[in-house]
Amino acid sequence: MNLRNGSSVRLSVFAAATAAVLALAGCGGSSGSSSSSGSTPVNNTQAVEVNVGPANNYVNGLFTDVTICVPGSSNCQTIPNVLVDSGSEGLRLLSSQVTLSLPAITDNSSNGLQECSGFADGSYVWGPVVGADIQIAGEKASSVPIQMISASPPFPVPSQCTSGGGQDENTVTSLGANGVLGIGNFQQDCGSACTSTSTAPPMYYLCPNSVCQITTVPLLYQLQNPVWMFPQDNNGVLISLPSIAAGGAQTVSGSLIFGIGTQSDNALGSAQVYTTDTSGDFQTTYNSIAYSQSYIDSGSDSIYFLDSATLGIPDCSDYAGWYCPSSTVNYTATNTGLNGTTGPVSFSIANTDALFSGNGGTNAAFNNLGGDSGTSPSTDYFDFGMPFFYGRNVFIGIENETGPNGVVGPYWAY
Amino acid sequence: MKIFLAVFVVLLLGSTSSWAVLGEYGNSVASDQQHMHAQLREVVRQGYSVKQLSSADGRMVREYVSPAGLVFGVSWQGPTMPDLRQLLGSYFGQLQQASQSRRQRHGPLVVQTKDFVLVSGGHMRSFRGRAYVPSLLPANVSAEVVQ
Repeated sequence: MNLRNGSSVRLSVFAAATAAVLALAGCGGSSGSSSSSGSTPVNNTQAVEVNVGPANNYVNGLFTDVTICVPGSSNCQTIPNVLVDSGSEGLRLLSSQVTLSLPAITDNSSNGLQECSGFADGSYVWGPVVGADIQIAGEKASSVPIQMISASPPFPVPSQCTSGGGQDENTVTSLGANGVLGIGNFQQDCGSACTSTSTAPPMYYLCPNSVCQITTVPLLYQLQNPVWMFPQDNNGVLISLPSIAAGGAQTVSGSLIFGIGTQSDNALGSAQVYTTDTSGDFQTTYNSIAYSQSYIDSGSDSIYFLDSATLGIPDCSDYAGWYCPSSTVNYTATNTGLNGTTGPVSFSIANTDALFSGNGGTNAAFNNLGGDSGTSPSTDYFDFGMPFFYGRNVFIGIENETGPNGVVGPYWAY
Repeated sequence: MKIFLAVFVVLLLGSTSSWAVLGEYGNSVASDQQHMHAQLREVVRQGYSVKQLSSADGRMVREYVSPAGLVFGVSWQGPTMPDLRQLLGSYFGQLQQASQSRRQRHGPLVVQTKDFVLVSGGHMRSFRGRAYVPSLLPANVSAEVVQ
């Protein structure tokens, strides 16, 4: 019997075991996928702010407060300065910021589930998965698996977890936040790939006898985008931020509004719906070339698009990978959804050095910050990061959830 | 599955050619293939060949091999990041150095030195990237083939 077979045997009882653990912790089991019709409206609006973050080192970071509770109890803690990230799913908090004692999610041998979450830049976070109720504004998701990012983890980081080459973002300084709230297009952070031994990636682990092995995890015990678990306003979110000046701003206040078309404050209005492929990507066309793996991501601090050579504008000599044109350049690209919706997106790219030194270097929010997505058109794409969000209502439709006019996620609307 | 794979590989490769890592000849990484439970196929192009591993969940890794068997480029895409330590071999250190020394920045990673180019981007559920060694490109082959 090899290790993988061993894992799958243990995991055949994983669901029942974890269900028992969560039930003991007071799980209400109300993972709602029903719409809000007929229920009393709750406060669905959470304040968000762009600022330098708790480590004073973030550019275009969108932060909010998240309240977590021991499942089924009123024993709660509010964690400030959590990054709102539409490019990931699930709540990840630095364990150093959490004083609550939250129940572990375990298999039937009391082995706690561990997770390695890798990000695109090669960095990663590692730590145990625990259960918590998540409260944001008037919304509440019960008994949600969340990750504790650990600087002193119960088990050492598996080598596969460090194979992206980046740093372990297990401190406020390295993460730039107290945690990450992933509210992207998907319900879980892994999905069906993690439910099968033939496809399970190096993401979830069990560590019997201190030897960590990749494990499969049923969908409901993976990290969850908490929004789809709310009893109402659960089909997506709206991020609403005001316009800012071309020179930037120290802080920008806005709203994270839950639900799409579920209350008077989250109607689509004039927004156009762009459905995505199963990976959450759509097509962006520029200069008659289609870039099919483009996306919108509040966790990206800039509009990362094309590359310096293709655009004919220089990278900064000091800030590698960011653009430093001699004067501001205007661009218009065209986004096309899987549903055929098409429309232009216009934006400007300013000199990063000038932006970062302006206003005494105190600005944290910029609507014209840009950088390279790659090194040549064959692998380039558009990553519409935070600059895209200023002055827009941006709706994020969650997979399998139905929005206005019958549209089913994943989709974007703006 | 394993039986099917063996047949598939023999049919497509028709040889004992093996999977390798960037900048090296022929080091077998059968473990990677096994880990991905992947199908391996090889396509011969003008001046180079492409070995492609693809798994049922959409993960794909390609290696670009010179006629002499030297891997001059790799690319990847899928819902999770691949094992870049294994794919990049001795070049992994350059990735580590570049990604850990850079200023706080949240977006794709672009590493461009004289002898090593790497881009890595995307988001959870959709990662993609490529790496190549300019000095190892076969004659008359552009880096653009690595995609």
